[in-house]
Amino acid sequence: MSLLLEISGKLQIGKAEEVKNLVQEALDAGFKPKEVLEDGLLSGMNIIGEKFKNNEVYVPEVLIAARAMNFGMETLKPYLVEADVKEKGTAVLGTVKGDLHDIGKNMVRMMMEGKGIKVIDLGVDVPAEKFVAAANENKADLICCSALLTTTMMEMKNVVAAVEKEGLRARVKIMVGGAPVTQSFCDRIGADLYAGDATSAAEVALAALK
Amino acid sequence: MKGKELLFSALRHEPLTTLPWVPFTGVHAGFLAGFKADEVYTDADKLYTALLRVHDLYKPDGMPVIFDLQVEAEILGCELQWSDEAPPAVKTHCLAETEQIPTKLPEATDGRLPLILSVMESLTKAIGERTALYGLLCGPFTLAAHLRGTNLFMDMVLDEDYVHRLLDYTTAVAVRMADLYLSVGMDVIAAVDPLVSQISPEHFRSFLKEPYSRLFTHIRQAGVKREVYSSFFVCGNATNQIKPMCETAPDCISIDENVDMATAKAVTDRYNITLQGNIPLTTVMLFGSQQDNMKYVVDLHDALDHRNLVIAPGCDLPYATPVENVVAVEQAVHQTAMVREMIKNYNSPELEFNGELPDYEHLEKPLVEVFTLDSDTCAACTYMKAAAMDGKAHFGDAIEVVEYKYSVAENIARVRKMGVEKLPSIYINGKLKFSSIIPSKKALIEEVEACLR
Repeated sequence: MSLLLEISGKLQIGKAEEVKNLVQEALDAGFKPKEVLEDGLLSGMNIIGEKFKNNEVYVPEVLIAARAMNFGMETLKPYLVEADVKEKGTAVLGTVKGDLHDIGKNMVRMMMEGKGIKVIDLGVDVPAEKFVAAANENKADLICCSALLTTTMMEMKNVVAAVEKEGLRARVKIMVGGAPVTQSFCDRIGADLYAGDATSAAEVALAALK
Repeated sequence: MKGKELLFSALRHEPLTTLPWVPFTGVHAGFLAGFKADEVYTDADKLYTALLRVHDLYKPDGMPVIFDLQVEAEILGCELQWSDEAPPAVKTHCLAETEQIPTKLPEATDGRLPLILSVMESLTKAIGERTALYGLLCGPFTLAAHLRGTNLFMDMVLDEDYVHRLLDYTTAVAVRMADLYLSVGMDVIAAVDPLVSQISPEHFRSFLKEPYSRLFTHIRQAGVKREVYSSFFVCGNATNQIKPMCETAPDCISIDENVDMATAKAVTDRYNITLQGNIPLTTVMLFGSQQDNMKYVVDLHDALDHRNLVIAPGCDLPYATPVENVVAVEQAVHQTAMVREMIKNYNSPELEFNGELPDYEHLEKPLVEVFTLDSDTCAACTYMKAAAMDGKAHFGDAIEVVEYKYSVAENIARVRKMGVEKLPSIYINGKLKFSSIIPSKKALIEEVEACLR
């Protein structure tokens, strides 16, 4: 167990190479891939997520921790595939059309990956149709839209309409977030889920996938 | 007291009875004058026209000339994406693939600076005597992120030396911009650095304390020749960054609704720094009612010590912010006692309309009813009433014009009964014809003529 704790601890301070080596060490010592994932890497990201939510760590610390997690995942991935450990669901994520802000969206991706969710990141300035096409192609459970501007957040309404038009409404849930977005705006445009920060977005997504 | 003097008083940390008001009307200025965001930020005449409209309607004590954090990045080689209803956004980061530090500093002839500087100069001549003008520059950290992209955050951990050098450069850019804006009469230089809320106080002290101290010292030195001030704008939850921001010694700090004003003021007061903020942009100014806006301001006014306080929106107003909401805020800031009474009456369950509404279907002559907050104090209301009086002058006894001021309790009951949602408004024969936007004389005459037919 202490080895897994060490993975979690090194991940939290962004020691990417050390995390990578410790993951291999844990696997060699006989820990199951799922344990290394859940109790090592994801546990570390969960702590970072909680600290981020509480303003104890900030964007650089999260980015560096997520980088360390990716280093660890490189080693772990083949073992997870072999052991048939599946992701907890698939989310298509992007900043809506007309909006180029990507920091918040990237934070959501990292937090969701830190919960074991597969994220298809479509980047910024994403048109409604692209969200729908990617959700279809990847059999996604969630479409997550980010916007930082009061003008571009209206585009989220088009995403809801596009999902309805495609007949995906029953299968895919739509999450919205970003600085100007509120729960009442989410309700008003007929989206399913709202989150006020990146950590909550991952928590809400995970709950919706259960 | 002139608005500018009132604002300067706040920035000199003097005790105040009336609070100063600074509406951040960036692209919203365009909305007010019927121009799109990209028009108003690329055409000097349109920008100037729009800003005079802001000045007329919103009676600011201080106002920005342009709220566009992309001006410097555009000059330094980043591509912008333009939009009808928002400031431009940075599309490409010119230092994303290189760790070379540029040396170029903006010149008055670069990018959109000729346009901006000429409008600043004209505005200084036209209104600079009575209203303080803000020159807004992109803060060194946000400018570094514009140039480098989000890699900057990773660089802060993996390559500190590079980030120090990059910030040294972006601070030199900020100092140059401050000089350019001061040279055309700007009174307050505001460094707008929204991304500061995204880094820890430790990172702030390590990377930004020296650059910001340098920038504010530079502005203070310019203040030896004439009275000028510095301001430090941040967005987002910067609660933990307020103290390190104070350590860089700006004259003023501006925050949005993500930081509690009382909490922030407890810190800024310790450093004798003026605090500016923080009417919520989306929930209150964009989507709230006039009453919501008035209440927020009156609550701020009543909760905080007035020394070192300026009332302002949390950040740049959304393009289509309802005009009547900004008008309501101005009234609440400048006529607080009257507005406090309005809110009290509005919320009073006992207040009922006991009179009778006119029989609109059977009027002898067209009836023009002007509903205002108070046409004696609210500029937009004055103009709305003047438009109605223009009609009266044109038609004489053929029409009747009445004003109902919201500052009179019984009129609040009437406003409720009539279902009037926005003030000022003009109703003709009981029907809403003009709301918030003041009609031209021609438009008003046409509406009345339609009733005379």
